[in-house]
Amino acid sequence: MIGIAVSAIALLAPCYAADTDQAPNVTLESAKVGPRALEPLTERSVLRDYSFAWASLARALDSNSVEPLDGPFAGSAAEWLRDTVADQRRNGLSARYLNQTHRLEAVFYAPEGDLIELHDTADYDLQLRDGDKNIYNRHVTRHYVVLMTPSADRWVVRQLQAVPQF
Amino acid sequence: MSWSINTAWRDSKSGLTYAAASLICLAGICTAQVGEVRAPSAAVAGNSISLSTTGSGSATFYFIGPGVSGKRGVKLGEDIQIPAKELRYAGSYLGIICEDSCQSVEFFVNASSPSRLAFLVHPSRAPVAESDAISGVVLPFDSNGNLILSPTPTDFELTAAGATVMSRRDSTQDGIAWFRANSGRSAGALQVSASVNAVQSRRIVQQVASDPCNLRISGQRAAKGIIVETAPVRDCAGNPLPDGTIVTFTARDGEGKSTVDAPIKKGIARAEISAAGPIVVSAASGVVMGNDLRIQ
Repeated sequence: MIGIAVSAIALLAPCYAADTDQAPNVTLESAKVGPRALEPLTERSVLRDYSFAWASLARALDSNSVEPLDGPFAGSAAEWLRDTVADQRRNGLSARYLNQTHRLEAVFYAPEGDLIELHDTADYDLQLRDGDKNIYNRHVTRHYVVLMTPSADRWVVRQLQAVPQF
Repeated sequence: MSWSINTAWRDSKSGLTYAAASLICLAGICTAQVGEVRAPSAAVAGNSISLSTTGSGSATFYFIGPGVSGKRGVKLGEDIQIPAKELRYAGSYLGIICEDSCQSVEFFVNASSPSRLAFLVHPSRAPVAESDAISGVVLPFDSNGNLILSPTPTDFELTAAGATVMSRRDSTQDGIAWFRANSGRSAGALQVSASVNAVQSRRIVQQVASDPCNLRISGQRAAKGIIVETAPVRDCAGNPLPDGTIVTFTARDGEGKSTVDAPIKKGIARAEISAAGPIVVSAASGVVMGNDLRIQ
């Protein structure tokens, strides 16, 4: 019995590791957004850039490198993510965000189009490691309040704040 | 609010959660797990807290959250102090205690009180007497840059020349309050302010004259042609159009048509047009046409 379980784990292990680079699955619901309507082209840009931001976050916290954070994040979000990477590096820790699914709902789009607030219900497998030792490995569902603003060539995440519920 | 992770139950009265002391038995060998780890039911960013533990002996404690990923040794059965500097950001935190196995507790930290406002106001220049011409969006943040998500009363006020043009109390929803307003009838600085508790932020919108209400031109012959000029150009509310606004003069004579653009200076646009014989001159600015002027 134990042998079968170990074999199953061994078979699954490479798939699990490969999921680190898997693009997050992101969907966006914008029917109720206001006061400005979200144009289809803007919606696609927000989706693309939010997905890229989470892929970058996962890379940064897995590799303990701040480089992936340059570009997709700004403001408070960039600040705490950099602090986290620095702390992880100092303590020999790392975090992996695997099998990400993000269900976004646009709740506010500013009249002049210079700010959008999203509610993200995120599902992912969170794996925390101390060196090679797994200290936490769990599937989690978290709710994030997200603020994004347009920059020269993309939408950037300025605020990424987890909340118990919306 | 907090949740235990390796848990057996949740105490609905206190809001605290407990990780059950339990035994894991595999192949007849049982290992004792770390006992209980508790988090406070409410925590505020920038304020220290303590997590309580049960059990005995030493363990490794990991504290994971936004901006922090710490590791240190702790004694089980004693409280674990989390300093304020490790709780700067609002969000989800994990406290993990590892001996042979690991136990964890998750809890949330809320933003503290408003300390700063992000206040987005558009446009920086608005034509007078235009509906929904001005908009403002305000987001209150605490001293650590956390968005304050609880509904917070927000006061908006628009004043021009010491008089209140608009005043409105609103409440933030999902951390945001906003307004849209008509511009006033007089050109000049419009002060737009937003206040949340004692925190205030101000912006200035320059209200400028709208399109001209009408254009009246006059002219006279000069040595090299004719000089035409407008009467003082004003919008329909009587505001003089700003210097630099372009007035286009068009001259038609027997040889064809010529145009010249002239900027308004001190309310008047003036141009010199070369012409020897009879000529008809008209003027336009924006969507407004002036009178035809015939000079023999």
